[in-house]
Amino acid sequence: MRQIAIYGKGGIGKSTTTQNLTAGLAELGKKIMVVGCDPKADSTRLLLNGLAQRTVLDTLREEGEVDDLKLIEKEGFGGIRCVESGGPEPGVGCAGRGIITSIGMLEDLGAYTDDLDYVFYDVLGDVVCGGFAMPIREGKAKEIYIVASGEMMALYAANNICKGIQKYALKGGVRLGGIICNSRNVDREKELLRHFAEELGSQLIYFVPRDNEVQRAEIKKKTVIDHDPNHPQAQEYRNLAQAIENNTQFVIPKPMTQERLEEILFEFGLMDNIKDNYHI
Amino acid sequence: MSGAIEQPRFTCALGACQSVVAIKKGVPILHSGPGCGVQVSRIIGQGEGYAGGSTMPCTNAEESDVVFGGEKKLRDVVENSFKVIDGDLYVVITGCTAAITGDDVAAVVGEFQEDDKPVVYVEEGGFKSNNYVSHSRVVKAIIDQYVDKFNEDREVIPGLVNVFANIPYQDPYWNGNLEQIKRVLTGIGLKVNILFGNESEGVSEWKSIPQAEFNIFAGAWAGLDIVKHLKRKYGTPYLHFPYTPIGAKETTKFLRAVAEFGNLDQEKVEAYIDREEKKFYAHIDKMASFMLEFRYGIPRRFYTLADASNALGFSKFFLNELGIIPGIQFIVDDIPEKYQESVLEEFSKISDLQTRDVRVVFDPDAGLDQKKLLEDAKDYQDKRLLILGSSWDKHIADELHADLLIISVPVQHRLVMNCGYAGYEGGLRAIEDIYDRVLATYR
Repeated sequence: MRQIAIYGKGGIGKSTTTQNLTAGLAELGKKIMVVGCDPKADSTRLLLNGLAQRTVLDTLREEGEVDDLKLIEKEGFGGIRCVESGGPEPGVGCAGRGIITSIGMLEDLGAYTDDLDYVFYDVLGDVVCGGFAMPIREGKAKEIYIVASGEMMALYAANNICKGIQKYALKGGVRLGGIICNSRNVDREKELLRHFAEELGSQLIYFVPRDNEVQRAEIKKKTVIDHDPNHPQAQEYRNLAQAIENNTQFVIPKPMTQERLEEILFEFGLMDNIKDNYHI
Repeated sequence: MSGAIEQPRFTCALGACQSVVAIKKGVPILHSGPGCGVQVSRIIGQGEGYAGGSTMPCTNAEESDVVFGGEKKLRDVVENSFKVIDGDLYVVITGCTAAITGDDVAAVVGEFQEDDKPVVYVEEGGFKSNNYVSHSRVVKAIIDQYVDKFNEDREVIPGLVNVFANIPYQDPYWNGNLEQIKRVLTGIGLKVNILFGNESEGVSEWKSIPQAEFNIFAGAWAGLDIVKHLKRKYGTPYLHFPYTPIGAKETTKFLRAVAEFGNLDQEKVEAYIDREEKKFYAHIDKMASFMLEFRYGIPRRFYTLADASNALGFSKFFLNELGIIPGIQFIVDDIPEKYQESVLEEFSKISDLQTRDVRVVFDPDAGLDQKKLLEDAKDYQDKRLLILGSSWDKHIADELHADLLIISVPVQHRLVMNCGYAGYEGGLRAIEDIYDRVLATYR
């Protein structure tokens, strides 16, 4: 069983990428569980064609305890088992503790069955506290992929996440499997991302081009593969799935200093372009 | 401070709930995990008081309160506490769980305050400090959020004083000590807000805190910030007497300092002092021949493991009134460094008759302190020793065949009701108790 955590800046497309990617893996005949670790509980919407009825923590809140996996686990596209950790309302309680609680519950209830090929954790934005690092602690996800784009803030966030990974990598077995680029059509994005990934000692595992088909499928509450299997974007996600399936490069990332990160951005002309645009 | 210590003789910040228990009809409401309150009252506090120990309302925060926040539960517990416990003042105290989760306790309690309910809150994540420090935060919260409401037009009442001294329950003899302090201050003509315990008039006394002519803080450091706060807030001047006055000499010194600070009628004060001293020494006179004959029977040297206020008070009393020599003084109250110098200075002038070097060790690790004590005691094997400590020092007292007078928490080998060692009468009580310990070892 490969356990994989997906991290990245908020709004970068982690959930979209995870669901489209797992749909591709499901087509390859893999048995998968997706665990949404975001209090918004929208990590499995496309796989389930709608929001999960009940999150693990909803069940805990209403029933006091969860004793039946069926209450919280829903089967989605391609037999993918979908679980949403859920969390408190915005601004109250402790979402980080919520993730710790719900992953603990999944373990107790025996959700991690031997027949699974993959478990994916889709974790919210940044690793802000211990709770959000739960999926990469000992005995959980050993592989991490960071979703990023050529936008500066996405790279800052990715570099920061690498600092967190490095900490856990040194005491546990967690490794960075690569950077997935979810393109924003930034100039020379692919080159920038490739360079960025290599600087981290890792790789750009796949470049997902930007396509409005993703948006259209999302509105229909579907992954691209589910919505229009013949669309070229569906093939992109299949390729991403294949790249993950075949990946053998797992490293302890070497996060950069702020200065080095800015140098790379500068090298790829982003700053120049901004200046040029200013003149126009 | 970091690192592990053995036998802390205090509790976490939540221990300040005992200060609320010590207010007449005061009700602490804990927003903490189950068991926190009981744990606290087992270390500091015998008995449950009005609403202490297992009577204390508590949210018993559990996992779902952490994840989803415990505000709703807190609101329920506060509301129901009003229904089932007839209190004059309710103080919501948060423990670690709610403090880390960040429950908006101010907002929850604020709703009740708007309804004019006598309730205040203090955020006391246990990790914030020890209870010496949090005691002050609780007192200040009551003043700022409750007492202040009644004092828009503050009119000073001549002769009214607020006294902040021994910390309730942290000092096992707090009730008796405060009674004695109130007694002697009343004796010199003051009207005294003693605020905690039997001799206090309860919450009505608290309401007149801003009207005091001046404040008295009797102690080394813990509580000093209360009187400083009152000075800033209401401009009330304060007198700081740096230890618990025990016995005739020290109590007289204390009363004279108060009289001078408060510009009291000297004749009246001296007449009272004279009366009290005569009474005090008459008892000693009566026992003079016994005490003389018994002079080799009582301990020659004493060690202290206590907080700074009591260690200073007892040391001065034992040396100057009973002639027992101070050995190492272990100050276990985790006194902040900035106050240590003044404690050392007080020890350096312990005797009016000769300079005396008293070895003082500031270390809240009472386990290490005991080790040092045993080491030092090897040099005095031929002498009868006295240990002023807690129940946790019983085994070393047994080992050294020393007499043990329990003056510090935890207290498991003695029932404390109104016993207090402060003041004139407290001094006599201390003498009785020392001789009692010694005589009890005779066949």
